[in-house]
Amino acid sequence: MKTFIKRSFVEKENEILIKKIEEKHIVWFQNSNSYLIFENSTTAIIKKLYAKQTLSEIENWCRLKFDLPKNLAKKFVKDIDKLVQKQCQTAYKTTDATAINFVSPNIYDRSKYYLINKIYFLIEFETEFLETLIHPKFAHLEVSKTNTTTHQYQIFQENGRIVFLVAGEHIGNWNFKDIHLFQGKFSMEIVQHIHQKEGDEWLGVFHASAIGNGKNSLLFLGDSGNGKSTSLALLQANGFRCLADDFVPVDVKKQEVYCFPAAISIKKNSLKTLFPSYPELKIASEHHFKRLHKTVRFLVPNNLDHTAHLPCKALIFIHYQQDIELELKPISKIAAFEQLVPDAWISPIKENVAVFLEWFLKLPCYQLHYSDTKKMIKTIHKIFNDDL
Amino acid sequence: MKKKEKNATKKITRKNAIKKIGDYGKYAALTAIGTYLLLNPQKAQAASPGAPGVGF
Repeated sequence: MKTFIKRSFVEKENEILIKKIEEKHIVWFQNSNSYLIFENSTTAIIKKLYAKQTLSEIENWCRLKFDLPKNLAKKFVKDIDKLVQKQCQTAYKTTDATAINFVSPNIYDRSKYYLINKIYFLIEFETEFLETLIHPKFAHLEVSKTNTTTHQYQIFQENGRIVFLVAGEHIGNWNFKDIHLFQGKFSMEIVQHIHQKEGDEWLGVFHASAIGNGKNSLLFLGDSGNGKSTSLALLQANGFRCLADDFVPVDVKKQEVYCFPAAISIKKNSLKTLFPSYPELKIASEHHFKRLHKTVRFLVPNNLDHTAHLPCKALIFIHYQQDIELELKPISKIAAFEQLVPDAWISPIKENVAVFLEWFLKLPCYQLHYSDTKKMIKTIHKIFNDDL
Repeated sequence: MKKKEKNATKKITRKNAIKKIGDYGKYAALTAIGTYLLLNPQKAQAASPGAPGVGF
């Protein structure tokens, strides 16, 4: 079902991928790695441009179809052509490839050993500050010193940038304002090592929480503060397994949600709700984020099988809302796509994009607003059991 | 108060995703079919801003 279309420009070729979404079309542009959602008529014009029809042929088609004056039809087609060319000429760049000169420190102040999926990791931090960027979310996986390390990561500072090495190889370097990108890359290396998959074998990483029932998984999405992690914690206290919090990897081959075993971030305003299920949170260390005026504690996920990966049953855009006991309704694919894409890393490889779109378009998408925890848990059971 | 600010931010983001191919004056139907959504995924895998250390 792949429908790539190639078009030649003066200097380079560009491919697009078109998929129907409800009454519109998604058009993915390879060079810019952008997803544009067009009305059907606009998509028809783009297809004609790629089919190498002349502009005047397309203008005529447009004039007759929309009953337009000649000059307006000409302007419309020219504007679409310009837009398509702009997307084709915008080069997609990743942000961690900056070349810098660095010397790896002789001494790392802090060394930590972690055991995940029977794989030992040695992670060396040049300073205590760098350790605080990573360790709190992985502290529950720490083990005592071992001589059987499989992977060695090193993290240090050079000219005001955080440098990340794996087995001595430079993975990337980041400004301090991009700490979240360093943490994302670190998490991705962990995911690749524990699941033994290379970078091009991942479909995407979603800013979501994921739970499983042993057979399938559900992804909870939504803005920060909507209650993704709190809902995940409530569900893992009620018989479900936590697969991942905040960083949810999905593979290309089977489009399954993979376990990411970092701890669950619990914000201060969720503690009261969670204390009855997790008394250990009362004595857990607090981590303060001054700029964001935010305090979190970390909750250990209950999933001990870090090799776990499960098919995704549905996407749920969740919102804890005090004035609503529970309201579940299907949402349009376009509305879901609009919320999903800007918050996710999606593989820019064209074959993977095709798989991503097929996967997404088949997934049911719901909006769930709730304040009644019992009803929420019951509803999640129903979604897993096709019992809505 | 904070919630209102957050909602306002979201509306701006949504507005930013909606684009127009061009200005077609009184031809409202053309303006409608020339409206599209532009969505760019993240350029790299990222932790959320609530991850340790972010915001120090």
